[in-house]
Amino acid sequence: MIGWLLVIVLLAYAVQRLWLGYPRPARACEWLAPREVHFLEAAADALFPSGGAMPISGREADLPRWVDDYLVVLPRSKRTQIRLLLLLFEQATLFFPAPGPLRKRGWRRFSALDAEQRSDVLRAWSRSSLYLRRLVFMALRAVLTMGYLGHPATLRHLRLAPYRIESPITEADVLYPRIGQHPDDNPLTPSDITAPSDGVPIDLDGPLHPDYEEHPL
Amino acid sequence: MSPPDGGEVRVFAQYERDFREQADVVVVGSGPCGAVVCHEIARAGHSVVLLEEGPPFRPDDFEIDAGRSMARTMREAGLRTTRGTIMPTMQAICLGGGSLVNSAICVRPPQFVFDDWSTRFELEQTTREQLDPHFDAVEALVGVGPTPENVQGKRNLLFKQACDALGYDSEPMPRNVVGCRGSGECFTGCRSRAKQSVDISVVPAAIRAGARVLTSVQVQRVLTEGVRATGVEGQVVEPFTGRRGHRFRVDAKVVVLAAGCMATPVLLQKSGDLANRSGQVGRNLQFHPGVAIAGIFPEPLDPQFGATQGYHSLQFLEEGFKLETLWAPAAVLAVRTPGFGYELQDRFAELDSFAVWDAIASCHHSVGTVKARRGSNLDPILTWKFHPDDLPVLVNALWVLARLFFAAGAKKIVSGVQRLPYEMHSLEEAEVLRSGRVRPSDLVFGANHAFCSTRMHGDSGKGVVDELGRCHDYDNLYLADTGIFPRCTAVNPMLTGMALARRQAHAIVDRL
Repeated sequence: MIGWLLVIVLLAYAVQRLWLGYPRPARACEWLAPREVHFLEAAADALFPSGGAMPISGREADLPRWVDDYLVVLPRSKRTQIRLLLLLFEQATLFFPAPGPLRKRGWRRFSALDAEQRSDVLRAWSRSSLYLRRLVFMALRAVLTMGYLGHPATLRHLRLAPYRIESPITEADVLYPRIGQHPDDNPLTPSDITAPSDGVPIDLDGPLHPDYEEHPL
Repeated sequence: MSPPDGGEVRVFAQYERDFREQADVVVVGSGPCGAVVCHEIARAGHSVVLLEEGPPFRPDDFEIDAGRSMARTMREAGLRTTRGTIMPTMQAICLGGGSLVNSAICVRPPQFVFDDWSTRFELEQTTREQLDPHFDAVEALVGVGPTPENVQGKRNLLFKQACDALGYDSEPMPRNVVGCRGSGECFTGCRSRAKQSVDISVVPAAIRAGARVLTSVQVQRVLTEGVRATGVEGQVVEPFTGRRGHRFRVDAKVVVLAAGCMATPVLLQKSGDLANRSGQVGRNLQFHPGVAIAGIFPEPLDPQFGATQGYHSLQFLEEGFKLETLWAPAAVLAVRTPGFGYELQDRFAELDSFAVWDAIASCHHSVGTVKARRGSNLDPILTWKFHPDDLPVLVNALWVLARLFFAAGAKKIVSGVQRLPYEMHSLEEAEVLRSGRVRPSDLVFGANHAFCSTRMHGDSGKGVVDELGRCHDYDNLYLADTGIFPRCTAVNPMLTGMALARRQAHAIVDRL
């Protein structure tokens, strides 16, 4: 009887820890669950806080949306791995609690920790003597960095945004339709082939790629 | 000789039912090696079918966002890693293979590499002298030339200045690029169409010569009868989702597998452990592990501008490493940036004063295996172990890179080596790199040059193919990718693969 009670209590704790108490995200995601969105917002805050040397914070870069878009294009196995990575980080405080006095409850989920505790947790992962633990941290940072530094505002600030480039039309463009199209739908003909690239260096003051231009709010 | 059919390319939208094709030669894989084989066979007037699992990309199909670009152009979304020593490595899945997304580097290996191959692996005809005509021909085919000065950009020219200051040889990177504008976008696809990746150079030439190019088709099995290959079979796959559809079969007199060092062994294993009497299929896997250092300079370098990899130095090849400049989307380069929070943002804020130089190393002691997974997926299980005996090469490379940066006037460097200071502000501080404190697990490295998984060897008991790429066990089954290299090349492997492929193609033509 006591054993069953213990099992029920543990199960209830597991359910509460894994699924309950997460706020509903402002926008529906294709792949991310509310708990993953909440974790990503917390991780974005800790990795790329506001008020730093960059023009926007991780939260302003809307990293959950970038990760959700990214998961859409990933093969299933990689999608699963990344979601497991998020789960691992969110729940690993159970085994690697945030340093500090017990009353600060450092074993709560990562997203439930305060900002200082989150930083302490990330520091512990990044400097762990366990190679695999450091590697897991690097994997999480890599995913979020790709989203953060892919954001047009950060790239513009760093003068690393891609430029507008008019692609010459080559024989290959006549041969191959766009991905997903039938060749009959390819409007290009041999007469559309243009002169190849002239090798003129890109103009550093030239217009940016349309997706990276600054748009008035 | 069968008359060639009219050349054509087929894409996913055109497959409406199961189908069967016939040709003199079927080539599996449209990367640099497969494309060259296909081109040479077609040019000789034979019928040839080139099969590619990925789709053809046009500039309007390229994604600039690094993560999404990798997800579309790379197998396993560009997130593949080795087991054992965990190291990222990539393999492209698109018409043109790796040439679509690499930095277009075309370098002939030095004499000592071929001397080593000849003596260790009983390859008497694989000398630099014998291969030079093939190097000449493939260089002409894809327009190899030195990177022009006006598109080098500051981060490449600083490397040259540093080499000059230290008395090291350096030269503009020879690349298969015509009309480079210095957009630094080789990794996500050249929107200027200046990079002569084989999908826009060799494959169209092959189609003009009569080749049939079938994209979005995954070969799953090599068909054999006795000691002869009779063709291949597989399924149509939808781009990006990988959903499988109609079945196909191609019957051919000669089968050439050019699916890449990490997929060809898998295909052989899935075809009933084919051509493996030597036991060498999937073994001996080698990489060029690369280490990189970022240097931060006192003034902005506008690193967005400049050839992706515009300069290199061959000074240390015999010591086991090659030095290069490097650029990639910020989101990829910064993955190595240490730290988090304000510290990480401070480093990101310096990206416009950033130059990254790397060293690729010949790590002969570190080997691994390629094994097939269960199911019909061609993605391999890669196991590779970094050997401690190779550590001195990488540590020395890091030290030389540090010297170069400070010679070029960098105010600090970031080595990315774990357990060492994040930043080093002088050569004296950088001494820690060669202090003996660096352990293999401290290094952050990656490798996209992979070799030797189906190596050639004059002795049929020690290698999978002979020096013309023909399987020892099968009369008409050829392998044509970097898997056949007996050892790594010390330099970027694409050109060597293409030269060997051209020689192979001529041997095939002679036998048809």
